[in-house]
Amino acid sequence: MTAINSKKQSSFGRRWVSLEAREARLAWALIFPTALIVFGLVLFPAIFSIWISFHDVGLHNLNDVLNAPFVGLDNFRDVIEDFAFKFQGLQSWGAAVTSVVYSFAATILTLLIGLIAALLLNRPFRGRGLARAIFLFPYVAPIVSIAFVWRWLLDPRPSGVLNDILLKLNLIELPKAYLATRGLALILVILIEAWRYFPFAMLMILARLQAIDNTLYEAADVDGANAWAKFRHITLPELHYVLGAIFLLRLMWTFNKFDDIFLLTGGGFGTKVLPVLTYEFSFRLFDFGRGSATAMLLLIILVVFMALYVRIVMRDVEET
Amino acid sequence: MNNQKRKPISSNDERLNIIDALARWITWPRFIFALTLTFFLTSILFPFYWMISSSFKTRAEIGGREPVYIPGSLDFEAYRELFDPNHPSFQRFGKNIINSARVAIPTAIIAVILSTLGAYAIARLRFRGKDLLLNSILLIYLFPGVLLIIPLFAMLAQIGSRLGFEIQDNLMVIVVTYLAQTLPVALYMLTNYFRTIPTEIEQAGLIDGCSRLSVIWRITLPLAIPALVTVAIYTFMIAWNEFLYALVFLNDRALFTMPIKVNTIFNDPSPRPHVVMAASTIMTLPVVFLFLALERFLEEGLTAGGVKG
Repeated sequence: MTAINSKKQSSFGRRWVSLEAREARLAWALIFPTALIVFGLVLFPAIFSIWISFHDVGLHNLNDVLNAPFVGLDNFRDVIEDFAFKFQGLQSWGAAVTSVVYSFAATILTLLIGLIAALLLNRPFRGRGLARAIFLFPYVAPIVSIAFVWRWLLDPRPSGVLNDILLKLNLIELPKAYLATRGLALILVILIEAWRYFPFAMLMILARLQAIDNTLYEAADVDGANAWAKFRHITLPELHYVLGAIFLLRLMWTFNKFDDIFLLTGGGFGTKVLPVLTYEFSFRLFDFGRGSATAMLLLIILVVFMALYVRIVMRDVEET
Repeated sequence: MNNQKRKPISSNDERLNIIDALARWITWPRFIFALTLTFFLTSILFPFYWMISSSFKTRAEIGGREPVYIPGSLDFEAYRELFDPNHPSFQRFGKNIINSARVAIPTAIIAVILSTLGAYAIARLRFRGKDLLLNSILLIYLFPGVLLIIPLFAMLAQIGSRLGFEIQDNLMVIVVTYLAQTLPVALYMLTNYFRTIPTEIEQAGLIDGCSRLSVIWRITLPLAIPALVTVAIYTFMIAWNEFLYALVFLNDRALFTMPIKVNTIFNDPSPRPHVVMAASTIMTLPVVFLFLALERFLEEGLTAGGVKG
C-alpha cells in the first residue's frame, strides 16, 4: 500500500510543485470575497471603533469623522463616572455589574435547563422526535415575537396571564408590573433568556450524550451502580468538555446581547446592561465616542473573563 | 410491562386491574420523567399558543378585565388591520413581509455561495496564512453587534457620501451588514462539513483530469447539499429575525422589515396587543415551519457550528 502511494507521488512529484503555487492562488481567489466582507465590515470597524472611542464623534461631525478632535481618555472617564455605568450600592448596580450578574446567571441557568432537557430526550419514548422538535421552538422563533409574547403574558394589568393566575391562587393581592419592578425584572429577564437559549445547550449536550459508549453503562450495571452514580461518574465526565464549550460560547453571546433586554424592558428597572447602554449613548444621545468607549469597556471585561475561564477551566480539562 | 398496560378492557371488573397495572407501571422515575416532560412542553407551547390565540381575539376580549384563555370565535380584526386597505389604521404589513423577504433571501443565497467557496479553500487547499485567516474570522464571535454598529455607521456614511448612495433606508446596505454577521458562522459550518467528505473522491477526479473547479462543482457540491441547505436556512433565519441593524439603518416606514414594524406597532400610543400578536404570528410561523420541515439537517448544522470536531 505504502509502496504504491510513494510511487504515485514520485511520478506526480514534478506536477505537484507547480500545483502548489496554483493551489494557493486558487485558494485566495476562492476566499477573497468572504475575507473582504468579513475584514471590511467586521475587523476594520472593530479597529475603527477603538479609534472612535478616543475621539469626540457626534452627529454633527459624522460626515467628517476623520477630523474629529482627539480627546484622549475623556470618553472612558465619562462612561466610568456615569451613573448608569458605575456600581453605587445594592440599590443601583450600574450597567457593568448588572451585565456580569445577568450573563453569568443566564448562562448557568441555560446550561442547567439544557442539561435536564437533553437527559430527558436521551431516553427513548413514543413521540420523542416531536418533543425534540418542539423543544427547539424558543430558539428558532424571532426574538421580537418572543419578547412581546412574554411582555403580554406578564402584562401589569389584571388581564395579564401571570397576574390572573397569581390573583386567582391568592398569592398576590394586587396586580404586579413584573417587568417594571427593580430586582424582579432582572430575575425575569434571566429566566426568559434561559427559556429561549436552553435548546442550543440541549442540542450540543444531546449530540455528546449519544456518542457515549454504551458499554460503560453496562459495565456500571454489572457493578451494581445506581442511576445517580452512573450520572456522576460516567455521564458528567464525558460531558465535561462540551459543557465547558457551551458555557464559554453562551457567556460571550449573552454578554454581547442587545435585543433581548432592549425589547423586554428597554433597559429600565435595574436591567440596563452594557450593550443597551452603548446603544443609548450612541443612538439616543448621539455621542458615538462615549458609545464606543462603553463598547470597549464591555470588550475588556469580556476578554478578562474569557482569559480567566480559559486559565482555570480549560487547564482543568487538560489535566483530566 | 407494556403488555399489561395495553390489555383490552372487557368488563367492569377489569377496571380495577387497569388501575392496578397502572400503579405498577408508574414507578418514581417514570413519574418524575412524565412530570418534567409535561412541564417543559407546557412552558414552551403556552407562549406560542398565547401568541396565536391572542391574534384571533376581538378588541373586547383583549381589553377585558380578565384574560380570555380560549377566544369565543376566530376574529380577524387584527389581521384586517395588517392587510385590509379599508381598515382605518391599515398597517401595510404586506409591504413589510416583502421587505423582510427582500433582505433575508439575498442574504441566504449570497452567504451560501461565498461561504462555499471560502470553506472549500480552507478545508481542502494548502496555502500560507490559512490558520491565521480562519482564527481571525472566528474572532468575530467575540465582537458584540452594538460595538460594530457605531463604526459601521460612520464608515458607511463616508463611503456612501463619496460614492453617492444613501446608507439609511437602503436594503442593500442591510444585506451587506447581515452577510458580515452570518458569513463567519456559515464558513465555519461548511468547513467542518467539507472536512468530513473523504479527499480520495476528489483526488480521483483530479487524477482523471478534471480541474479544481469542476471537481468542486461535480463531486463536492452534490455531496454537501445537506450542509448547504442548513447554511441557507440558518442565514435566512438570522436575517429574518435580525433587529438591531434594521432598527438603526431603517427610518422609512415603507422599508421597515417585520421585526422593526412589530416593534413600532407595539410602541404605538394606543396599545393593540392582538395586532402585535397577529404580526408576530405571521413573522414566526414561516421560520418554525421551515425549521420543522428541515429539522434533521438543521440540528446537525447547529451542533456542527458550535463544537469543533
